[in-house]
Amino acid sequence: MEVGKVKLRIYGMTCGDCVTKISRSLLEKQGVMDVNISLQEGLGEVEFDPTDLKPGDILKNHVFSRNSHYRATLIE
Amino acid sequence: MRKEPKRYDLVILGRGAAAFSAAIKGSEISNGEMSIALIGTGPLGGTCVNVGCVPSKYLLEASHRVFMPKHPRIDGIYETIVNHDFSTVMKGLRSYVRDARESKYAEVIRNYNNVTLYDGLGKFLDRKTVGIEDDKGRNVRIVSGSNILIATGSRPSIPNIEGLTEAGFLTSDSLWDIDKLPSSVAIIGGGAIGLEIGQALLHFGSRVTIVEAMDSLLPQTESEIGSALRTLLEKEGMKFYMRARISRVHKYRKKKSVEIITHKGKEKIAVDEVLLATGREPNTKNLNLEVAGVKTDPRGMILTEASMRTTSPGVYAAGDCVSKKLFLETLAAREGVIAVSNMFGETANIDYGSSAWAVFTYPQVAGVGMTENEFSKKNGSCLCRTFPLSNLTKASIMGETEGLIKITVDPKDNRIAGMQIMAPNATDMITEGAYAVRNGYTIDDIIATSHIFPSMSEGIKIAAQSFIRDITKMSCCVE
Ligand SMILES: Cc1cc2nc3c(=O)[nH]c(=O)nc-3n(C[C@H](O)[C@H](O)[C@H](O)COP(=O)(O)OP(=O)(O)OC[C@H]3O[C@@H](n4cnc5c(N)ncnc54)[C@H](O)[C@@H]3O)c2cc1C
Repeated sequence: MEVGKVKLRIYGMTCGDCVTKISRSLLEKQGVMDVNISLQEGLGEVEFDPTDLKPGDILKNHVFSRNSHYRATLIE
Repeated sequence: MRKEPKRYDLVILGRGAAAFSAAIKGSEISNGEMSIALIGTGPLGGTCVNVGCVPSKYLLEASHRVFMPKHPRIDGIYETIVNHDFSTVMKGLRSYVRDARESKYAEVIRNYNNVTLYDGLGKFLDRKTVGIEDDKGRNVRIVSGSNILIATGSRPSIPNIEGLTEAGFLTSDSLWDIDKLPSSVAIIGGGAIGLEIGQALLHFGSRVTIVEAMDSLLPQTESEIGSALRTLLEKEGMKFYMRARISRVHKYRKKKSVEIITHKGKEKIAVDEVLLATGREPNTKNLNLEVAGVKTDPRGMILTEASMRTTSPGVYAAGDCVSKKLFLETLAAREGVIAVSNMFGETANIDYGSSAWAVFTYPQVAGVGMTENEFSKKNGSCLCRTFPLSNLTKASIMGETEGLIKITVDPKDNRIAGMQIMAPNATDMITEGAYAVRNGYTIDDIIATSHIFPSMSEGIKIAAQSFIRDITKMSCCVE
């Protein structure tokens, strides 16, 4: 089965640490295969196993929860 | 070749309640980082502030100030004629609307640097791209959005009646510009808008005739309320033609002649003005929804899930353009918030079941949840009680005993399934019903909650008590 890909618009990132924190959190989730985040553009690309996850599930991560400083929406 | 679109995180079609609440929510969640395009025509704020809730409530309040002193309800207080000037009232109304629009919409949105306002009508070019047209239909701009929210609202529907266009008519869009009170008005449609405007004009001194196609007023309400309201309005002088339709309107000297067909046959009335209140239709026809894959119901209203997602991924809808039963500012705003919350991966759903609605006649009518009929149809049986305000101390002191409170309960567990109220301040009282329905409170919860004596809201407690005892034999001190 083809690898799933989503693009994210990520809000609230200010430095390299933010990128590391969000990437780590995303990768912790079962089914997430690769994460690429651009601090400058506020964008992220996530590759995932579609047998484990749907695109919307990528946002359901504590790093993007209501109490977090970071929030994200799906772009594609 | 098509110009490269300007890219936004969120493109919103519309600039009314749903659009504003969505733009503000998106800005708040993203801490002002979400780039938002807000596209629309007409005055900022859309229907509610300009031609809906705000001017209609202003006109009603002003009209009651003229009517009530002429109809005192307490012995020893005598009829007083209130000097007033209708054209100054209307100027005051327009100035209030201008100020409300400026302070609640224009100034507010100026504080959000992430939001760009575009003047023009939006039209989908594809699922992610919207063309903006000026008033001549020329495409002046193209924008694209990672997410798109359709919040284009609705407008008064104009029925196809012979002679209507030539004779001229008012709608809830144009009424607010008049300066002279029409001495007689035929209002076509006896729903919330027709009754509110009708009573306001009547209270200022117009002779008002309502022509309604159905055989009862406010069919979404309990039948006791529809008929109690009709009796009261008739007592005030409003005339009703029920199960009636207009076959023709024509200008006759300075008047308009309206031909009404009822089961009794044809009848003609002569009036100064005709006001249409036959419902509203969604602003969705020219949006090119097909290219975006957004489906509508047969009336053109956009189909959504409870998450406000449409049939097209990344495209959401909110407000009066959505296929639903209740069309309210409060719901439009809530739906806008829900749509945006879901864009951010939250799991938010609209709950129509506990949404309170209202008709701002005097007395007011308000409700939440299911009617007796709706509950019985769904569940086979229900328990309900109707408490007339004539049994309520506060109402009888005020001499305002025409109303009632009806509560419908699930017989399985005594939870409140619905509440409808006709009372001078029903729109304030109904919030108790909304809490009860939303949180699954029982009649015991209502009885155990302290209510002020004597007050109108005490009526809700007594209505709840009427499930467990005969309240006609109850002292007013019984807990
Ligand atoms: C007389 C009257 C009284 C009312 N009283 C009450 C009340 O007391 N309480 C209550 O809760 N509700 C009341 N309502 C209902 C309430 O006003 C509406 O439910 C609410 O305003 C709907 O908001 P909206 O954002 O969906 O649409 P709107 O406010 O209508 O906004 C839609 C906007 O979209 C714009 N638009 C249209 N087509 C396009 C396009 N192609 N591209 C871009 N923009 C477009 C329109 O110009 C408009 O500005 C009343 C309505 C009326 C008419």
